[in-house]
Amino acid sequence: MAVDKVTLQILANHCSAAAESMASTLLRTAHSTFVKETEDFTTGLADPDGKTFASPYELGVTWFVGLDYGRALRCIDRYEDGDIAVTNDPYSGFVCTHSPDMHVWKPIFHEGELVCFSVTHVHNTDVGGAVPASLSRTLTEVHQEGVRLPPVKLYKRGELNRDVRDILLANVRMPDQNWGDMNAQVACVNTGARKVGEMIARFGIDTFREGRAALLDHAEAQARRAIRGIPDGSYFFADYTDEDAVGGHPCRIAVRMIVKGDEILFDFSESDPQLNSSLNIPTGGNGRHAIIMVSYMYVMRLLDPEIFLNSGILRPIDSILPKGSVVNPEFPAAVGMRTLTTLRLQSVLLGAFAQALPGRLPAACGDGGPLLNVRTTDNRTGRKLMANLNPISGGAGGTARRGGAEGSGANFGFLKNTPIEISEAEVPVTILGYGLARDSGGAGQNRGGLGTEMEFEVHAPHSFVTARNRDRSRFAPWGLEGGEAGKTSAFLLNRGSNREVDLGNTDIVSIDPGDRVYLRSAGAGGWGRPWTRAADRVLADVRRGFVSQAAAEAEYGVVIRDGVVDEPATTARRTALEGAASGEAGFGFNRARRDYEAVWTRAAYEAFVRLVGALPVHWRYFVKQKLFSAVEALPPEQRRGDPAQLYALFDALAAEYPQLAAARAQAAE
Amino acid sequence: MGYRVGVDIGGTFADFCAFDEATGALRTLKVLSRPDAPGSEVMEGIRQLRSRFGIEPAQISYFTHGTTVGVNTVIQRKGVKLALLTTARFTDVLELARLKMPDPYDLLAVRPAPLIPKDMVFGIGGRVRADGGEDRPIDRAEVLAVAREARARGAEGIVVALLNAYRNPAQEHAVQAILRAEMPDLQVYCSADVWPVVREYERTITAVIHGYVQARVAHYLGSLQQALAREGVPAVAQVTKSNGGVMSAELGKTRCAQMILSGTASGVIGAAHVARLSGFPDTLSLDIGGTSADIAIIRDGQPQYGVGEVIGDFPIFLPTVAVTSIGAGGGSIAAVDELGVLRVGPESAGSTPGPACYGRGGERPTITDAMAVLGFIGQAELGYGAVTVDRARAVAAVGTVAHAMGVPVEQAAEAIIRIAVSGMYLEVSKLISRAGIDPREFALQAFGGAGPMLACFLAAELGMTHVVVPTTPGVLSALGGLVADVKNDFIRTVYLDLEPAAMAGIQAGFAQLGADARRWLAEEQGHHGAFRLVASADMRYRGQSYEIETALAAADIDAGRTAALAEAFHAAHERMFGHCDRAAAVQVINLRMIIVADSPKPALARLAAATGPAAPLRHVDVHVGGALRAVPLYARADLLPGHDFSGPAIIAQDDTTTCVPDGFTGTVDAYGHLILTLTARN
Repeated sequence: MAVDKVTLQILANHCSAAAESMASTLLRTAHSTFVKETEDFTTGLADPDGKTFASPYELGVTWFVGLDYGRALRCIDRYEDGDIAVTNDPYSGFVCTHSPDMHVWKPIFHEGELVCFSVTHVHNTDVGGAVPASLSRTLTEVHQEGVRLPPVKLYKRGELNRDVRDILLANVRMPDQNWGDMNAQVACVNTGARKVGEMIARFGIDTFREGRAALLDHAEAQARRAIRGIPDGSYFFADYTDEDAVGGHPCRIAVRMIVKGDEILFDFSESDPQLNSSLNIPTGGNGRHAIIMVSYMYVMRLLDPEIFLNSGILRPIDSILPKGSVVNPEFPAAVGMRTLTTLRLQSVLLGAFAQALPGRLPAACGDGGPLLNVRTTDNRTGRKLMANLNPISGGAGGTARRGGAEGSGANFGFLKNTPIEISEAEVPVTILGYGLARDSGGAGQNRGGLGTEMEFEVHAPHSFVTARNRDRSRFAPWGLEGGEAGKTSAFLLNRGSNREVDLGNTDIVSIDPGDRVYLRSAGAGGWGRPWTRAADRVLADVRRGFVSQAAAEAEYGVVIRDGVVDEPATTARRTALEGAASGEAGFGFNRARRDYEAVWTRAAYEAFVRLVGALPVHWRYFVKQKLFSAVEALPPEQRRGDPAQLYALFDALAAEYPQLAAARAQAAE
Repeated sequence: MGYRVGVDIGGTFADFCAFDEATGALRTLKVLSRPDAPGSEVMEGIRQLRSRFGIEPAQISYFTHGTTVGVNTVIQRKGVKLALLTTARFTDVLELARLKMPDPYDLLAVRPAPLIPKDMVFGIGGRVRADGGEDRPIDRAEVLAVAREARARGAEGIVVALLNAYRNPAQEHAVQAILRAEMPDLQVYCSADVWPVVREYERTITAVIHGYVQARVAHYLGSLQQALAREGVPAVAQVTKSNGGVMSAELGKTRCAQMILSGTASGVIGAAHVARLSGFPDTLSLDIGGTSADIAIIRDGQPQYGVGEVIGDFPIFLPTVAVTSIGAGGGSIAAVDELGVLRVGPESAGSTPGPACYGRGGERPTITDAMAVLGFIGQAELGYGAVTVDRARAVAAVGTVAHAMGVPVEQAAEAIIRIAVSGMYLEVSKLISRAGIDPREFALQAFGGAGPMLACFLAAELGMTHVVVPTTPGVLSALGGLVADVKNDFIRTVYLDLEPAAMAGIQAGFAQLGADARRWLAEEQGHHGAFRLVASADMRYRGQSYEIETALAAADIDAGRTAALAEAFHAAHERMFGHCDRAAAVQVINLRMIIVADSPKPALARLAAATGPAAPLRHVDVHVGGALRAVPLYARADLLPGHDFSGPAIIAQDDTTTCVPDGFTGTVDAYGHLILTLTARN
């Protein structure tokens, strides 16, 4: 008999309680500050096929709802009671998406029957490899990103596998932390097993088994119902990371979202080929991989706030993830910095949904600011000290109903900051300022949320600042319905002095006493035409210091004199702004993007993707670099943005590199 | 000999507890709250104490009071208009808070508007370093210019919260002195004076809430003092505090941030008292009202303490009795969604319009209505005659859900209860796993209007064996005020590595805190009797970003035993997190001192034992387990020590109705507490 709806809801509460208890146990017993502070972890229950049917709502990261453990589980032949398995290999089982993420699972048995798995992952601060913390854009192969455990049993029938432990710990920089966190994960999956045991005692094995399936079915039904509310159609959107490697060309992620009835297909065929840096997102081609579907999950939650967050919501969708592309790289491409690309992937899906659901979604959030870390020396003791400083986060995009949240929000609302007083007490740094960046929010009827900015200095020479996930210093978060893009992010040394250096998207810099580091995230995109924003709201923004008087006039057409709105001047200025506006009120892209897309038109990009897609994987990034550099080398007036020009450039390249022509011919066979 | 009177004002009722020092008898009453005329309900209650129990105001020898004036000021945003002075270039401290959004899965999440809008926030140029040294002095002219501008924009008070003031408050005090000299009518609050804790947002928001409510609370307490004097009450009024203690009402006028959560705190103090008396020192207290349920952990008969409790939209970081509030109460509304799934809450009918069965305009089905449909409530009068239950209205309301589910109305009502209880189970199990406790070792103590109605169902879900229902479950906060001690907290941030060289500083710090505490007790509170000092420190391993409050022995501090202090922390870490690292460096972030002057505890009278078996008032029809059964209805006053009975049963009293389902048996202890024990799984 099927589980009735009342029992289903009760079981859902018990499953959530199990996942929350697992999360609390993990958080409570974890050793590393990183896990405790950033909550970069997940917990849950997965069915025997590896589909997660329970996750916590309050604790942990939001990026892995419905994560599929199936392929990783099946890497191990046979499970017995008391086993606990681990993996952190991005290329075995495709549950792990970069090497610091240690995934742990435990089979749970009832009278000999494998009824489910309790599962968890935490982001380890370091798993060895070429650089401390194991992550850098400069890495090119996964082998450089630390020790990798393919799915392997850490415990066999309750017995610790000391060999696995010793190999792991011999290869990492802070073994005590890794082992402490690993033990917390073991406590976590054991808690899950105990809670499942209690549920089976409470509800009976039949109800539990059926309920487990019904929870997935119900989430699927909820998702299908939500999707039916989205008009059928094909919606295309693309967005770019500024660089595909240190100092590289932009990386495009593009989706064609095809909505039909209660199903969606996401086609990523027009995205970039796999990169030679660590920005690739490893999915193993699983079209329902959670890491790809973060924004889909956010949208489902938006359309149905009661939706069960489990694997079931992924059933109505699928994706095309071409092999050898940035969203499905081939071994051994490096993947460590996939966070940066994943953020862009999120804005791409949100852009597609924004077209399908006009008025429902916010403009792009203000990302691109880094997670920030400083390593310096205490002049009094000579001791080297290291600490996380504030993440430089951005606001939420404007929506049809209101402005975006300032400083954080939308799909970027899960970070916590570090108190200035704690940073200054922990490490010898002086924070010169931390707050919202005036004028950074995209202008609009409903303004985009402001980004944050911070400036600081150190007092000892050879101090290192690491700024991970820097982006958006070229292509700004887009606006919607005629709203302007947010302002770009910034990373400046000695801002405003004659020693100012623009560090662009650099992620590590060495500084000395007297240097000042300035960081700013991008502002979020605005919603609606700026000159339709009520003048008194613009005035309030000016009074609150969120918008400067100059920007009020230039961007909103609101002329303020002596603290009040000059009505006639405002009317005149707004009329002029409206007259100068072009076309329909669509996406608001910044000038850098408009200029770039005048050259790299959609047609040109299609041609490019087709050209490189026909090449063997190891040629693709090489050819991309050559082609993009060749286009850049053309005098601006000759850049036509048509496929024919691109074909010509490719032919020239093939002539220069006969191996390329051979490789192409070989691939075609 | 006289009467000790505790009064606690809640959203719907003002609760009174009067303890007769001669006989040990406890009298209780409730009068309706008067949010429109705060304080008048106190006078009404004092009049009723006389008319109902013959207690003359002149006989009131001790008077404690908990009020929601402060909390309501924040929730309703009716505080004074404030300006905030921060360190220049750090003016967004309230806008940014700690960044993380309340619901990170919500794309459209927004933060609540700050209590002080950004155009009332001003940066000033002074700067203190993390070590307390001054990098840049305060500029007097700038401070005055800023204050004049703030005033021109309507500021009635100014909060000064500068970076690193926890370490050195001199610049905040300098600003205060400048403003006091030039603008004596303007209230100025310094963050380091309200609560000098490290972390700028936490310290600032605490000071802001304090400044926001201070004038309102002081005015209220002033009128209360006058009214008590007019009525001829000789006792010096005491107010209950968020830390579970009391202080004089006079002191409350300037220390109002400390009393902002007094109602929930004194409920837990009352529950802890009952936990000790009833022989269940390890207890989860469960206070369910109309819109929410407050849950607290009591260990060894003592409440637990924490910081960061939420008031309206904002956290406050003063030491507070730890209470977790969940959005489920008797008024939680049930609805069926479009996929046929029944949900209960988080929407609530609250006390207005309230459950449909109260007949006060509510039409949507609530948990209380489901209980009425089943027959668990509505069999006797509720709430001191203030509320009557109309089962027909409940049936009509629950009928809408039953229709959508395609089941009989009683079945829908049972489903509402089951789902509501499983939702509470989810929230309570989060709390207990965060605390790392095993619920099976705890008793569940139920109070509040709806607590005893739902407690047995929840206890069964949590695997808890014992449910305790206090004698006066409706007025436990008022009782808590009566048993609360005079108490105050002191803190000093030192940020030291725990090593022998640091001991002198630690000892000096504690000595200063001890002197401050003694001065507070004698001079501010005016108490000259016995007291205790309790020392602790917030400690952590170097590199951690969170501290554990660790109790320290005064002897170890005085003798400078660094190793013993470190060991106290290792042991606390082990208890809390299951592991510790005795080789790692330990840091001392804050020193804490609590001063406690014990108040006389009412020696509650033991009741005479029963002479015969428990006799129900009558049997009533109740739907239990899908069938209509005749269930005994007892009057609470008829249940005496020695009585026992088994579920299903209903126990009615003025305060509340206790529902005893199948599988539970009940006994009554010497003080009249109901002890309900799960004996069989149903």
